[in-house]
Amino acid sequence: MFKDITLGQYYKTDSVIHMLDPRVKLAGTLIYIITLFLGKSFFMFIPAAVFLVSMIILSKVPVSYVLRGIKPIIPLIIISSVFNLILTPGNVLVGFWIINITSEGIYMAVFMIVRLLLLITGASILTLTTTPTKLTDGMEMGLRFLKVFKVPVHEIAMMMSIALRFIPILVEETDKIKKAQMARGADFESGNIFKRAKAMIPLLVPLFVSAFRRAGDLAMAMEARCYHGSEGRTRMKPLIYARRDYIAYAIVLGYLGLMIVMAVFGV
Amino acid sequence: MSIVKAENVIYSYKRKDDETEETKPVSALAGVSLDASEGEFIAVLGHNGSGKSTFAKQLNALLVPDEGTVFIDGMDTKEDKYTLDIRKTAGMVFQNPDNQMVASVVEEEVGFGPENMGVPTEEIWERVERALSSVGMYAYRESNPSRLSGGQKQRIAIAGILAMEPKCIVLDEPTAMLDPKGRIDVLEVLHKMNKEQGVTIIFITHNMEEVTGADRIFVMDKGKIVMNGTPREVFSKVEELRDLKLDVPKVTKLAHELKKRGVILPDGILTSDELAEALKHYQNTPV
Repeated sequence: MFKDITLGQYYKTDSVIHMLDPRVKLAGTLIYIITLFLGKSFFMFIPAAVFLVSMIILSKVPVSYVLRGIKPIIPLIIISSVFNLILTPGNVLVGFWIINITSEGIYMAVFMIVRLLLLITGASILTLTTTPTKLTDGMEMGLRFLKVFKVPVHEIAMMMSIALRFIPILVEETDKIKKAQMARGADFESGNIFKRAKAMIPLLVPLFVSAFRRAGDLAMAMEARCYHGSEGRTRMKPLIYARRDYIAYAIVLGYLGLMIVMAVFGV
Repeated sequence: MSIVKAENVIYSYKRKDDETEETKPVSALAGVSLDASEGEFIAVLGHNGSGKSTFAKQLNALLVPDEGTVFIDGMDTKEDKYTLDIRKTAGMVFQNPDNQMVASVVEEEVGFGPENMGVPTEEIWERVERALSSVGMYAYRESNPSRLSGGQKQRIAIAGILAMEPKCIVLDEPTAMLDPKGRIDVLEVLHKMNKEQGVTIIFITHNMEEVTGADRIFVMDKGKIVMNGTPREVFSKVEELRDLKLDVPKVTKLAHELKKRGVILPDGILTSDELAEALKHYQNTPV
């Protein structure tokens, strides 16, 4: 049941998007998400969609693979569109009992669906084309300015990469504990939802205990290898901007400019 | 020159009693003295709870003695200013390979130590390449460690320490979780490093078969060193080892049993070749 947990589902190709510096991709994704919230009309989505589609084509990731990222958020889309549909005041088209479906409601619902789809697809392009290690590296380097405000940027990035490293180990461990409990008659598959949730306790307790033990071991092993925070630390794979990264920045900024102009003139 | 020098080390854990909420010390080391010269292959033997793992942690300044001193290459582990230098000099490999890996790519894992030490980028790459080649894992440099076998993971953990270029490596039961093939591979790598690069090895284990190739063996029991000497010297004391709940290698045991039944054999036979040779000799001797 835990086999299908995939975090940072990286898809390896040799595209230019894959080769970009993770900082560019992080900044680009952030700007792209912001632009989705700039305007109030459908026209604003046209350049965004063009931008997104060209990124998908450039990344050489199969479209079916990209669209798979939408699946887990379908419930969210449905819930938000239902609320938009019934709770937006305005010109009533169909009305019964306390539910009124308005034309504005339909408009808002469709608008939100398009916005969410563009948002999720855009974000998944980032994780599909960037390895988790590069992603945390990019975050550490890109957010270094936060150190001024005493944010432990390096430590947060280190925690993230260790968490990613331990996901497969903990998944394997969960499977092992589950089988061990099943061998002694534990039942995880039948009963109602409360019964099943209760059945998870003998699974989660040993899992937590072992996770803490592993954390202690790892901390000791890191200390033994001279780990003492970011101070005086060098990097094996430092992030260095190449020409393509500056070009990418220019493209992203151009896109942002276009969207701002469109928003200001109220297209 | 001695690289590791432990003098009468006493250490106890503080354990909190669940009912009375009182902390009381549990003695783990009760006066351990050990001296290792540069380039030696030292094995420390002991059954569970003999204090051997606690002793290993003393050598890396992860724990410091309550009484007595530990010198690593002349540096006292009690002095905070030496802590990083001590860890650079005496690297440490732990029992569970999964729990000591930080990165999700082999080469980054090996580069972690040098990164912490502040080694310049190009040199990190050189060191990683060298370390991975010498444990025979260079071909796997871009793999994910979680997809490798236990023996391979442990070799990568060793490479991670090697890349820090320590003078001495302390290994705390590195083979305990490995299959026989993994054990042999790890031991081979250790002996190769010891011979070719002159790295001092302190190998902690409870498996007798693994220490026959060591230069010297220290046997620990109840927080004390109770025996020490060459493998031949130590393994000739079969009865004493049995009292310490330790076994001798199978060949040595066989030779011992034969001797008890009247076959005249030399003491402390370690390999099957030696035993075969001795038996041939015995056969040809007129009784």
